[in-house]
Amino acid sequence: MPRIPLGDWADNVVSFLRDHFSGLFDVVSSIVSGMYDGVDAVLTGPQPLLLAGILAVLALWLRGPLAAVLAFAGFALIDSVQQWHQAMDTLSLVLVATVVTLVVALPLGVWAARNRTVSSVLRPALDLMQTMPAFVYLIPGIFFFGVGVVPGIIACIVFALAPGVRMTELGIRQVDAELVEAAEAFGTPPARTLLRVQLPLALPTIMAGVNQVIMLGLSMVVVAGMVGSGGLGQSVFTAISQVDIGLGFEGGVSVVILAMYLDRMTGALGGRVTAVGRRAAAALPQRAGRRVLAYRPQASLAVVGVVALALVAGGMNVFAGSGTNEATVPAKDDVGKGRSIDMGYIPWDEGVATTFLWQEILKERGFDPKVTQYDVGALYTGMSTGKIDFETDSWLPTTHASYWAKYRDSLEDLGSWYGPTSLELTVPSYVKDVNSLADLKGKSGEFKGRIIGIEPGAGEMKLLNDTVLAKYGLKGQYQVVAGSTAGMLAQLDRSIKAKEPVVVTLWSPHWAYDTHSLKKLKDPLNAWGSGDGVHTLAHKGFSAKEPKVAAWLKGFHLTDKQLTSLEAAVHKAGQGHEQDGVHAWLKQNPGIVDKLAPVGS
Amino acid sequence: MQRLRAGAGKTELRESGDTAAVIDASFEVAEGEIFVVMGLSGSGKSTLLRTLNGLLPPTAGSVHYEGRDLTALDAAELRHVRAHGISMVFQHFALFPHRTVVDNAAYGLEVQGVPRPERQERAEEALRLTGLEGWEQSWPDELSGGMQQRVGLARALATDADVLLMDEAFSALDPLIRREMQEQLLELQRTLRKTIVFITHDPHEAVRIGDRIAVMRDGRIVQNGSVEDLLLRPADDYVASFMADVDRGAAFADRRPAAGVKAHA
Repeated sequence: MPRIPLGDWADNVVSFLRDHFSGLFDVVSSIVSGMYDGVDAVLTGPQPLLLAGILAVLALWLRGPLAAVLAFAGFALIDSVQQWHQAMDTLSLVLVATVVTLVVALPLGVWAARNRTVSSVLRPALDLMQTMPAFVYLIPGIFFFGVGVVPGIIACIVFALAPGVRMTELGIRQVDAELVEAAEAFGTPPARTLLRVQLPLALPTIMAGVNQVIMLGLSMVVVAGMVGSGGLGQSVFTAISQVDIGLGFEGGVSVVILAMYLDRMTGALGGRVTAVGRRAAAALPQRAGRRVLAYRPQASLAVVGVVALALVAGGMNVFAGSGTNEATVPAKDDVGKGRSIDMGYIPWDEGVATTFLWQEILKERGFDPKVTQYDVGALYTGMSTGKIDFETDSWLPTTHASYWAKYRDSLEDLGSWYGPTSLELTVPSYVKDVNSLADLKGKSGEFKGRIIGIEPGAGEMKLLNDTVLAKYGLKGQYQVVAGSTAGMLAQLDRSIKAKEPVVVTLWSPHWAYDTHSLKKLKDPLNAWGSGDGVHTLAHKGFSAKEPKVAAWLKGFHLTDKQLTSLEAAVHKAGQGHEQDGVHAWLKQNPGIVDKLAPVGS
Repeated sequence: MQRLRAGAGKTELRESGDTAAVIDASFEVAEGEIFVVMGLSGSGKSTLLRTLNGLLPPTAGSVHYEGRDLTALDAAELRHVRAHGISMVFQHFALFPHRTVVDNAAYGLEVQGVPRPERQERAEEALRLTGLEGWEQSWPDELSGGMQQRVGLARALATDADVLLMDEAFSALDPLIRREMQEQLLELQRTLRKTIVFITHDPHEAVRIGDRIAVMRDGRIVQNGSVEDLLLRPADDYVASFMADVDRGAAFADRRPAAGVKAHA
């Protein structure tokens, strides 16, 4: 069978689009992010409980008192677990994605309903969009739209478009042909038949489609969190990548509350806005005693309630706004003058610790630094497009070699701040008979033929599969299980509890060596190569744009002791409070900010 | 078409993948008469009806209405004729479920662009004619089948079209209600004098309301004549067997009032 270069074609198409249509993508990007910023400003503006009140009034209007109480309780819970801001970011993302999806899907659905050819061309295209794993287009999406909220929204749109189009098409096709004929028989022009007969009668089905669009969009937010779209997706993604079960659950529950609210409300909306739906609701028998629960305010009353709460929210914002003031930076230290710098990081401990350290340093130097966690592929792609200014956690020349090779032309290396590191396969120290990689040969039965790996995109995994296994003749004997760092650590923990033999991919420095009694397998053939340095990489041109910051980063170095104490401090402060950990560490190391970021020079 | 002209039958044509619903059906309908087209299902009568208002354009042949060939009109002109001159009543009523009874009756006027107060008034008048006074604000699904078809009839009458196309209008109703509706139609016709083309598969209905009846078979009109012609001088055995169980006495008795009106006209 000849090799069909399908992947090369796709690669070429992506390059072609990026080179020739970047203007178009920029326009789309700024429209979508503008919409998002607008919606997000409205949703994150008011006090959480006031907005929860507004949402509860909507629930009262659409579904009655019980739904209103539950909605308020649900949103209060989100606020209480400190996911409010993230939840509103996610809500904004979903709302914008839904609006854009509907703007595209409704005309397409109508067109497909009226034209068999369009319908049969659209069907496989929609199937493709809905079933193609999101990551396949999420990473190219970064080429076009940069990291951040836009590719997340685009991914939601791509995923949710199919039900929007299908349900519109289905709804219109389902309208009784005799009714359409009747409209025509009375001389109705086609456009009017569509607007006055077909669409109103298709509306219940279309609303079911809207509901699905929202639900599918919401189901994409966790994936979108991996490319830095923020919100609850980011909470969940961060939590699972750091085995923070508690935060993961809180983020997950918040997603569920949002999903249930949106699902029930859009479901009920169909009944409130369509004539057919109102008829069905009015026909329901009203049982005595249930009256209270069946109460629905008039639309006008609901509007009054929403507006009143919104005014209160607005008023409180005005007064609150005058009270808060950013901590001012002394003029002599103010290098940044409020310029923003975007930093990205992958959830590796030394990366997290140093990223938040630099965020704090840059703040003290008058910059407006933003930090966002990414999947490793998204991080490099984002940095190569300039959406991310720099990151501090590239292991070179070995671990991240493939990313460096792919993106080196659009990146600059600001040097290594820590090293050397090492990569290794590791077993618990109670596994007595295996001390070196060579000892693994022929013992696959003992380890169930598995080497527990980390993220499939990790440089260590590539090196292991491509070089290490072959050099020691382990190919075919062991299967490298790809998953996540968190999964690997969980499996390690589990095996140690059960005293089972296990072999995992690990690296030094890593806190697991402190927590467990482990044994690094020797590498007599030097298959892992010499140790990496942990490098700071920036988008090409960063040192020209911010020479001062680049100089600081080039001079950045941490000793073993500094790094481990910083990691420990950040770890201790806990997920979501990294900044506090950095503060505590800075207090123990007075003067270090001036040393790492000297103003005078 | 050429093969049809050469005398090929419907079955013969179907073997080659085409379907001809109406092959040879020439007739004229006089102003103010009820012209019934009768035939079994599949005989092409509904298709024939839809060529009259252009819902289905014929592949050959023409339709003349008020001196104009409807098949030669463009889409907008054709819509104007449908909105003002030829209205239609459907077998399954085809009422819009998202509109109230009065809004359904006013539909044609809305398409014509009649302002709201006037169309409301005319729709109510049409509903009064069909005996639905007091039901204006109800919804179609709250009415019985017979009442729903009265709304359908009111919708067709409200536009003041001269021609009514009625496609098996009463076939979906119970026999008792059907009879009631037939009587009401005849009653209305006495005062309104519309030109009505009525499609049915029921010979009893045909002889009861038709001034003239055309019998269709396999897309062709096999006989076109008065009730007397069909009963007393059937063109062939097919027509004869069709009319076999019609009660002749009752048929002629039923004709008298309508015939009387005709005599006066």
